Amino acid sequence: MTGISVGLNCPACGGAISVVEGEDTIPCQYCGSMLFIEGDKGVSTIAFKSKVIHPNAVAATQAWWARGFKARDLKRVGQVTEVYPIYLPFWRALTRVAGWVCGYEERRHTDKNGKVTVERIPKEVMVLQDYNFSEIACDPGDLGIRTLKNFTGETSFADFEMIPTFEATTSKDDAVVHAKNDALSRARSSARVPHVTFERLHVVPKRLSMVYYPVWIVRYKYRDRMYMTGVDGVTGQVMSGRAPGDPVFQSLAVTAGASLGGMIAAAGLIFSDGSAEIAIGGLAVGAGILYVFYRFFRHGSEIVEGEFREKKGSSKQALKDIGSIAKQIQGGMR
Amino acid sequence: MGNLASIKCPKCAAPVTFDAETKFVKCSYCSSQVFIDRSGAGFYYAAPFMVDETNAVGMFRRWAAGSTKAKDLDRLAQIAGVKKKYFPVYMFKRDVNGKEQVVLEPAGSTTLPGLHSLKVPATDLKIFDGSFDIGGAELIKPDIEMTSYNDQLPGKPKEQALVFFPIWKLDYVFNQKRYEVVIDGSAGEVFSAEFPTRSSGAYMAVAGLGFVAFIAEGLLAAVSLPLALVLMGVTVVGVFVTALYVARRM
Repeated sequence: MTGISVGLNCPACGGAISVVEGEDTIPCQYCGSMLFIEGDKGVSTIAFKSKVIHPNAVAATQAWWARGFKARDLKRVGQVTEVYPIYLPFWRALTRVAGWVCGYEERRHTDKNGKVTVERIPKEVMVLQDYNFSEIACDPGDLGIRTLKNFTGETSFADFEMIPTFEATTSKDDAVVHAKNDALSRARSSARVPHVTFERLHVVPKRLSMVYYPVWIVRYKYRDRMYMTGVDGVTGQVMSGRAPGDPVFQSLAVTAGASLGGMIAAAGLIFSDGSAEIAIGGLAVGAGILYVFYRFFRHGSEIVEGEFREKKGSSKQALKDIGSIAKQIQGGMR
Repeated sequence: MGNLASIKCPKCAAPVTFDAETKFVKCSYCSSQVFIDRSGAGFYYAAPFMVDETNAVGMFRRWAAGSTKAKDLDRLAQIAGVKKKYFPVYMFKRDVNGKEQVVLEPAGSTTLPGLHSLKVPATDLKIFDGSFDIGGAELIKPDIEMTSYNDQLPGKPKEQALVFFPIWKLDYVFNQKRYEVVIDGSAGEVFSAEFPTRSSGAYMAVAGLGFVAFIAEGLLAAVSLPLALVLMGVTVVGVFVTALYVARRM
């Protein structure tokens, strides 16, 4: 198997040299020659030290059970069965975006006679901003964790041998592409130009590193079913989790949705005064409210928090759905 | 750690051990820095089971209690068999015009749900050799050669590996029909192709009827407020009770 290993010597003096992953220039410790390393240099890697210990992870999970619309008997019936830390790999990329976004904003004014005038305000915005991007470097599986929220903490490789370390299996160059796209779209929206006529933005990748982040996996049992939470090993916060819901909260949701939505729709009809626009508008708003609550009614039997693939019960997902429906309707009307 | 591969130090020929994903390693005898060049060799990796059988069954029950699954599937599904297996996938890292690209290819044909969409699940990869304990799991043998992919892949090789990842295959019977699910043995994801589903009909009916009733009562309020308020009170209770029945039973 000698074919796969290469001993490294200084080409100037023959002394053995040591290379740290992620570096591309190093001085030889014997003769001081500056050496440039070619080929696969890898990326610089850091690992955060887990500040959380076993009882903290359990306590954080139990505190989380009591929050939100989870099963009311979860605190009584829920039983933590397994608690262990893992290291998850993340790509972390720093990028800088520099450039200009030009365009205009439209403002509508209605005067006393009901005449509408549209005013165009030209805009010219300079963008110079650094962005911090992170993305999990392996398949996220069912952990509900995709990005890092915290980038500060003590770094150390001391626990590396003891804690199971998940391997990075995605391409670093793909991560750089994702970081660039993310920085570009964030820079574009930070410029706040509603109608863009001209744009020149440059994305400069500054540094890519690999971050191993400690996460405590807490598995617990509720009526023969296994649920989990992922607890941030540095801050001690619950990053993601699944929990059983409660039919009482689901029913309350649909009752509130139907009554609130129905009233708004009725008010629209009463105060429309023959105007079809107000009547239809009221009906649409009422139906939209009903839909958000309906989603929770239909899928609220499991409460999911974190970055999971499917989040059926969440109001955020429901609002996104409504947004896309509204866009389709708008498109259909034109 | 445990499962480490070993090579001979190119300087002093002493054995040097290294783990999956290590790029540089220092020889403990002569302190030479050794670069592990994986481009010419094929590696075998495997991941340990982090989910045991009781957990796997519990995860299945959690999944089966989901809102799209048939009502009470978690309690009514009869488990017909639980099997512990290692599933193989090829993972290639290629250098395509200076960019790293990860390509996954099937190592064997399968009818197992979820395993057509290839991936290497989140897991702690170990070098797979004689000392790796597969814990009584069935090793699904790859029936496609690794070399058969080498010529078709883009760019130059950086690393190629056969990865065995742990899965639980669970068979269950519901309404006299047999279904199967696969549970990822490290991160606990549940894969399924076909499962008994739940209809949204009753849920939609409650929400829709409640909505229409409240519109009617809202309109009535413009004519007779006291009557409308009484009817609304009745509707609130009615909707809540029916909804509770639906959420619990349907």
